[in-house]
Amino acid sequence: MSDPAAVQFEHVFKAFGNRKVLDDVSFKVNAGEALCILGRSGTGKSVTLKLMIGLLKPDSGKVCIDSEDIVHSSEEDLSRVRRHIGFLFQSAALFDSFTLGDNLALPLRRLDKSKSPAEIKRAVDEALERVGLNLDVAKMPSALSGGMRKRAGLARALVLHPRLLLVDEPSSGLDRITASEIDDLLLRVKKEYGATLVIVTHDVRGARRVADQIAVLDQGSLIGFGTATELEKSDHEIVRRLVTES
Amino acid sequence: MEVMKKFFSFLGEVSHFGLKGLVDAFRPPFEWEFFLIQIEEIGWQSLPLILAAGLALGIVLSMHTRGTLVQFGAEAMIPTLQSASFFNELGPLVTGLLVAGRVGAGIGAGIANMRVTEQIDAIESLSVDAFKMLVVTRIVACILILPMLTLFMDFASLAGGFLSEYLVSHISLQLYLDRAFKTVEWANFIPPTLKTSVFGFIIGTVSGFFGYTTDEGSEGVQRAATNSVVLSSLLIILADVILVKGIFFLFPRNAL
Repeated sequence: MSDPAAVQFEHVFKAFGNRKVLDDVSFKVNAGEALCILGRSGTGKSVTLKLMIGLLKPDSGKVCIDSEDIVHSSEEDLSRVRRHIGFLFQSAALFDSFTLGDNLALPLRRLDKSKSPAEIKRAVDEALERVGLNLDVAKMPSALSGGMRKRAGLARALVLHPRLLLVDEPSSGLDRITASEIDDLLLRVKKEYGATLVIVTHDVRGARRVADQIAVLDQGSLIGFGTATELEKSDHEIVRRLVTES
Repeated sequence: MEVMKKFFSFLGEVSHFGLKGLVDAFRPPFEWEFFLIQIEEIGWQSLPLILAAGLALGIVLSMHTRGTLVQFGAEAMIPTLQSASFFNELGPLVTGLLVAGRVGAGIGAGIANMRVTEQIDAIESLSVDAFKMLVVTRIVACILILPMLTLFMDFASLAGGFLSEYLVSHISLQLYLDRAFKTVEWANFIPPTLKTSVFGFIIGTVSGFFGYTTDEGSEGVQRAATNSVVLSSLLIILADVILVKGIFFLFPRNAL
C-alpha cells in the first residue's frame, strides 16, 4: 500500500460571496515532495494554502493533512495538526512589536510546552543560524530588509521542525539573487528535514528548481498538474505559458 | 429605511463583538503577558497626556469661574465648584474622550495593520486565539484603566485649580483642599469614576472591531483608525447621558 498523501484536496469548492475562488479542485502531494502552485493573480493560490492550515474552511469538499480531514476536525485536533505545519506568509507576517528572537520563541512557547526557556533559546538560535540571521536575534522586524524578513519568516516557520511547510510567494518583492537564496533555503529544508513543501509562486524559474510537481490554477480551476516537463506539453495554452521560463 | 437597517445591523455586529470579548475574558487560557503589555500601552503611556490635560483644564476652569463668582462674593466656592465639576462630569468625560483619541486610534490602526500584514493569520496558524490575544486583552485593559486615569485627571485638575488660585489669592493648600472636599461624598465620586469602565469597554470594543474586521489594505488601516476615534467618542458622549441619568436614579442626592 502506498504512503498516505501529506496533503489531499478532494472536490474542494470555495467562494467569497458571489466570487468563486476554487471550483472542484482535487489533487494530492506525497510526503517529502515539493509542489509549486502557479497561476495568475487572484486565481485562488493563497486561499489554497490557507485551506491547508485551516485558516479558511471550504464550502464543500475535503482537505486532508496526513490523511486527517481538517475541515470537520475539532479545534483541538486542528491544533495538533498545525503543530506539524509551518507557514511562511507572503509578507513574512513577523509580529512587529516583538524582537526577532521573540517572534521565533512564540510558536515554541505556545505549541511545545515541554521546552524550558533555555531549550527555547537554543532552538531559536539554531533556527536563526540556519537562515544566517543569528546576529540579528534582538532586532525588531522593522530593522530588517525584505530578504531578511523572508528568511526570518522562514526561520519561524521551521522552528518547530514541521513535516509540512506552506510558503506563500517566497520571492515576491525580492531581487533575483535574494529570491534564489530563499529557493536554496527551501531546497535545504526539503533535503534535511524531509519536509513536504507547498509553495505558491509567480516565479517560474524558482518553481522549476524546487518543485517535484507543479499545479496550475486558473479562475479557481486546476487546469494542470504534473512535472514541469509534462506541463510544457499541455494542451492548455495558459499552462504552457505559465510553466515556460521567459 | 435601508440605511436604518444597515445601521442597526452594524450596531448588532459591534455589540456581539463586544459581548464576545467580555465572555472570552473569563475563558481560559488567559493572555496575561499580552494583557500587561496593554496595561502599559493604554495606561502608563496615556498618563502624561491625562495629567497635562487635567492640569491645564483645572487652571482654565478656575480662571473662568473666578471672574463670575467674585461678582457675587462667592470666590470661596471656587474649589468646591472645581471638585464638583471634575469628579462628577468633566474628569470622567474628558478622560474618556482623550483616551478614545489616543488609544482608540492606536488600537484600530494597530490591529488593522496586523490584519493587513497577515500577522493575525500567523497567530491563528499557531492555533492561538487571535481574538483573545489582541482584542480581549485590549478591551479588559481599557475597562480597568479608564477609572484609574480618571482619578489622575481629577487630581491633576485640582492641582491646576489650586495653582491658579494660589497665584491670585495666595490660598493655602489646606484651605483649598478643605473647601474642595467639603461637599464631596463617596456617592458623587465613586459612580462617576466607575462609569468610565463603560467608556473603556466602548473604546476597546469599537476600535477592536474596526481593526479586527478590516480587509482593505493600507486604506483600511487609515479608515479603522479614524472610525475608531469618531464612533468611540460619539458613543462615549451618548453613553454618558444614559449613565448620568442612571446615577441620578440610583443616587438621587447626586442630582441635587
